[in-house]
Amino acid sequence: MSVERIRKMESLAALSLCTFAALFGLFWLVFILGDVLINGIGALNLSLFVNDPAPPGVEGGGLRNAFTGQLIITFFATLIGVPVGILGGTFLAEYARGKNIARLISILSDIMVSVPSIVVGAFVYAMLVKPLGHFSGWAGAVALAVIMIPVVLRTTEDMLTLVPWTLREAAFALGAPYYKVIIQVAYRGAASGILTGILLAIARIVGETAPLLFTSFNNAFFSLKMNEPIASLTVTVFQYAMGPYEIWHKQAWAASFVITIFVLMLTILGRIIIKWKYGKS
Amino acid sequence: MEIRKELNPVRSSSMNEQAVSNKSLSLTKETSNGVKVEVKGLNFFYSGNIHAIKNIALPIYKNTVTALIGPSGCGKTTFLRCLNRMHDLYPGNRYEGEIWMDGKNILASDIDLIRLRSNVGMVFQKPTPFPMSIFDNIAFGLKLNGIKNKGELAARIEKALKDAALWDETKSRLHESAHALSGGQQQRLCIARAIAVEPEVILMDEPCSALDPIATAKIEDLITELKKGYTVVIVTHNMQQAARVSEHTGFFMMGELVEFDTTQKIFTTPSNKMTEDYITGRFG
Amino acid sequence: MALSFKKNPVDLIFFSVTAAASLSVLALIAGILYVLFSESSLAIAKFGVFQFIFSTDWNAVKGSFGAATNLFGTAITTGLSLLMAIPVAIGIAIFVTEISPNFLKGPISVAIELLAAIPSIIYGMWGLFTLAPIMAKYVEPALQNSIGRVPVAGILFHGTAMGIDLLTASIILSIMIIPFTASISRDAFNLTPAVVKESAYALGATKWEVVKSVVLPYSKLGVFGGIILSLGRALGETMAVAFVLGNNHQITSSLLDAAATITVTLANEFTEADNDLYLSSLFYLALLLFVLSFITLAAAKFFLLKAERRYAR
Repeated sequence: MSVERIRKMESLAALSLCTFAALFGLFWLVFILGDVLINGIGALNLSLFVNDPAPPGVEGGGLRNAFTGQLIITFFATLIGVPVGILGGTFLAEYARGKNIARLISILSDIMVSVPSIVVGAFVYAMLVKPLGHFSGWAGAVALAVIMIPVVLRTTEDMLTLVPWTLREAAFALGAPYYKVIIQVAYRGAASGILTGILLAIARIVGETAPLLFTSFNNAFFSLKMNEPIASLTVTVFQYAMGPYEIWHKQAWAASFVITIFVLMLTILGRIIIKWKYGKS
Repeated sequence: MEIRKELNPVRSSSMNEQAVSNKSLSLTKETSNGVKVEVKGLNFFYSGNIHAIKNIALPIYKNTVTALIGPSGCGKTTFLRCLNRMHDLYPGNRYEGEIWMDGKNILASDIDLIRLRSNVGMVFQKPTPFPMSIFDNIAFGLKLNGIKNKGELAARIEKALKDAALWDETKSRLHESAHALSGGQQQRLCIARAIAVEPEVILMDEPCSALDPIATAKIEDLITELKKGYTVVIVTHNMQQAARVSEHTGFFMMGELVEFDTTQKIFTTPSNKMTEDYITGRFG
Repeated sequence: MALSFKKNPVDLIFFSVTAAASLSVLALIAGILYVLFSESSLAIAKFGVFQFIFSTDWNAVKGSFGAATNLFGTAITTGLSLLMAIPVAIGIAIFVTEISPNFLKGPISVAIELLAAIPSIIYGMWGLFTLAPIMAKYVEPALQNSIGRVPVAGILFHGTAMGIDLLTASIILSIMIIPFTASISRDAFNLTPAVVKESAYALGATKWEVVKSVVLPYSKLGVFGGIILSLGRALGETMAVAFVLGNNHQITSSLLDAAATITVTLANEFTEADNDLYLSSLFYLALLLFVLSFITLAAAKFFLLKAERRYAR
């Protein structure tokens, strides 16, 4: 065999192996997604959304408490996390642009984005649960907000950096103070990017379980009180899936399905906004 | 008559067809060198059916330098990249026509691109050292060709570096990263890398456009040396450079070959008004 | 950018508010470190550093706590999952950047990003209901009947095939980090300038030779950073492993045994800790995890920044 033939066969073999690896990886991912969709749709029904849980092991009932609890916790986490994140990102991209402190905070935020979320849960437990003596929706919301802040902060910084500096100069030339330039020019230019960042941050916290385990804990009953333990979909999935009852497992599939769809829709929406606003790349 | 038919270029457009083909014909008589590459009725379409090269026909003579000039976007680089079928790397590109090299049509579908490309070397606009040592950069192509013997590798690398006039500057630092070299040195390294595998044709795509005048002069001297052993085709936007280094020059515009002749003729008495306007700097 | 914002009182307020918001990140990191440290002070005082790390005893009744079993579980699941995920992820990245036809590149990239967004609890639950039974019924017996019979290597697959074990947990973890690792590797590969690849092709290199000798060396720093980032993620992952690891505090030679990671222990025992020392030991575990992953993530960031800077030239 000629050298070239051997080389070509080696290339073919290696590339086939890569293709196989890709197919193999995608197979598992499609498997998981397909499984969640099939089992989830099969377990979906109206009573899931309108009824509260039946006593353990008893057929029927729903997860109304978990849906509302999840919404409330997510809402308050967003209410805390988004403003802090946006303002923090504004500081890095505007007042501290190019300064060392901005670089440091930016890098530390990137690290915080990937810090184990269960550690955040432990932290909030020590801050808000242990001193008060009870789990609460607030503790859950704060834990999720802590996870959210660095995500929103970094996107805001990046998006504001993309707004051309000359645009700000034009506003300065009209005699506008910096805060007006930021609010009326820079934010406007970066709005859709920041919105995407918020959507992705919400998608991230909606799927979080570990930080809620010992902050908002769980509640088998319908509750809107943020001062008390409150149910969430993710913690419910954990509890139900690990539980002994068939009906719990079905409801865990259904809840997983809802979480997955919600997260995927938010992610897709965020991508669409980015694509529509910033074009390809 | 056979030659006349083969060399008949550019059918379309506004230019004087008869004049061009006559010139091409007379050329073959003037030069003592044989034809290394013969391009016939070449059309090239970028993905999306963008007609970038229109009906090109020209000869490339052995052991000479052929310069391709023209305003940017005229198709000279696109033409050059047809000669080693670089366009095949990207899907949707399409050739029409023939390019004969040593009795083989390199546009034929059964052509082995790997062999073709090791016969037709290429030097790019910007230096493109690989992320490895100077030694390994040159060894790369040699190893592809099955040269594994340490002694032979070292000898071939030394020869390539000497031929590229880079040996004295690098012999003490062969195992340092190629990225540590200056721009001009990197470009000569890329030339050394191309000639190490002893191709027959070397394609150069504006090889000096990223270099300073001193580095440019070195590369030009090198090109003049190289033609002793190789057939060189160089794309340049620098007309003085074309005049200095080449025997033949082709003037491209909007994907067409406006005029092809000896460099002396092109730069002193071009037959086409457009060539004259470009040479004298009236446009482009 | 010497802006005289301080002349305007509203600007001064806005400046202060945004500054405070961004400093909250620093405050959070310092706060987490301080709180975890002070909460674990009881356990630190009792067990010290070395004894805690190397003791395999995790006994709530005796009040004796050591992190070794948790560290063992974390190390094995993380290591094994990376071992399985890296080749597949790099294969996917090579496929997307170099092999796949153009019309597939977009959809596969989007699919990978979407899969990276799926919450880990979904992976965990799927592992419990779908993968664990498959492992127990088919994969693990097959492994026991083949490699399990080989001397030495066989000890990796001793025990009963239950599906709730280190192997299953590692597989789920690896499936979970594949999209993430693939996506970072792809970004790193894309940093290779097209013209450098072209010059390798121009020398007559095959596609694989270009990938092996040009693309991989060019992007190795970025890929390496990406792998460490994945390691950081895997270290701290809770829900993907919590369902199928079994939470059994032991150091075992068999991948078919249940075990515990730091995260799984925290998730399962935090709300059960009935005395101060127990809780303090859990906080100590959390502190260890925070420090470990912080260092890992910082190292990843260092390499990624270095890669970025190198190619920005």
